[in-house]
Amino acid sequence: MPEPRVIDGRGMEPPEPLELAVAELGKLAPGEELVMLLHCEPLPLYFVLDRNGYGYRSELRADGTNEIHIHKI
Amino acid sequence: MQPALSFEQAPPISVPYRFFLTAPLFGVVAGLLLALLGPAALESRWAPGALAMTHLIVVDFMLQVMCGALLQFVAVVAGANIWRPRLVATLVHPLITAGAVLLASAFLLEQQVLFLLAALTFAVSLGLFLTVMAMSLLRTPARGMSIYVLRLAVLGLLVTVVLGVILASTLGMHENLQSVWSLLTLINVHVAWGLGGWALMLVIGVSFLVVPMFQLTPAYPVWLTRLVPAGLLLVLCLWSLQLLPGLAGAQAWQSAVASVGILLAGLYAAVTLWLQSKRRRRQADVTLVFWRGAMLALLAVAASWLALEALPQLGSHARAPLWLGVLALPGVFLSVIIGMLYKIMPFLNWLHLQRLGGMATPPPNMKQMIPESAMRGQMRLHFAALLLLLAAVLWPALATPAGLAFSASCLWLEWNLVGAARVYARFRDKIRAAAAVASTS
Repeated sequence: MPEPRVIDGRGMEPPEPLELAVAELGKLAPGEELVMLLHCEPLPLYFVLDRNGYGYRSELRADGTNEIHIHKI
Repeated sequence: MQPALSFEQAPPISVPYRFFLTAPLFGVVAGLLLALLGPAALESRWAPGALAMTHLIVVDFMLQVMCGALLQFVAVVAGANIWRPRLVATLVHPLITAGAVLLASAFLLEQQVLFLLAALTFAVSLGLFLTVMAMSLLRTPARGMSIYVLRLAVLGLLVTVVLGVILASTLGMHENLQSVWSLLTLINVHVAWGLGGWALMLVIGVSFLVVPMFQLTPAYPVWLTRLVPAGLLLVLCLWSLQLLPGLAGAQAWQSAVASVGILLAGLYAAVTLWLQSKRRRRQADVTLVFWRGAMLALLAVAASWLALEALPQLGSHARAPLWLGVLALPGVFLSVIIGMLYKIMPFLNWLHLQRLGGMATPPPNMKQMIPESAMRGQMRLHFAALLLLLAAVLWPALATPAGLAFSASCLWLEWNLVGAARVYARFRDKIRAAAAVASTS
């Protein structure tokens, strides 16, 4: 299993993490995972993922970080 | 719990953009009017020029943007279904534009028929807008403080419009309602609901969501999110009691109620500035600086109000209300509005282009939608114009340069916003052309 690509958007001002994520999605190989770390629920990103054939699951860490795992369906 | 953002509900981009692109033009007109009329427009709050400019700013600038933004925001943030947004925008947008032009002309030309036409236009257009908004906000399953405060803001607009229509009809029919209410009492209550119950309440409701999200600040303290909107509502209800015949003359009591409202507004501004000082990122973008400027202006409104109350010889000066008006309208509300427009338009461009092009044709970077240097330059001019307007209240001889500076700032804003809309149109055409080529090959 390849190492997941990680975008740590916790110190970034929206919508920068969204733009970075969309740029990375195109490079995602089948089976590969993109992990995003954010302080909020990235609802615009979910909208983009739903419309473009990507699956995701989010986990809330104890420190309040939202960890989103994204893969190509 | 923050409400969910639902982008499937977003209305077509043309719905908010027609409001956003019209609004600054009336700022240009208001500034030119001040430049043209000169010191006469700043004699007192009752000068026809001052009344015309005020309504060009509050209706044709502020209300335009707020209506456009609400049609977008309520659909996206409250996940509410707005009844036929394109039709509502097509009817409401030209009518409120015309209504404010009629009202401003009525003040300047002192023509009764224009007051009546303005009243009728506002009753129809804002009646429709309020009905659609109220239906959406009452039916939405979304919960949260922002939704609750948005509902209060819509109530604030309803009261403002009802009183405004009564006032314009009164002036139009030249009939005195003094047997029931004095004109001044009606105006006092109309202004309080318009500025406090509608405009400030809307800014507060939106800020609870966007300040922590976009400016990376801690969330607003829960006690503040409960105290300020509810407190403002209570203050406005108590302030409105002056409409009751027996209570109309209780000036000391009214002044205490107003001071509590002003202190609540000042508290909200101070907490917002404190939260912004705790943000996780040091770099300040244009939107943040506009918000900071707006909150400082709100603190200045509160401090000025209390000073004018404490010093009656200053408070009774004919231009004292103009000082407060300049601080509140261009200072607080236009600063927030312009700052938000610089955030909203690039984001809506990006979102709609992404939806159109999918992963095949990625939209341009959001930072490229409006050049940073253009936004910063316009912001400097906006704050310089604000200082000149304040100086013109003190020395009315400065009215013409202040009006020209304000007009130029609004023109530059229009240029920046039109630029963003052109970026959208250019990429939309590119995406469509690429799709047409793909379908024929």
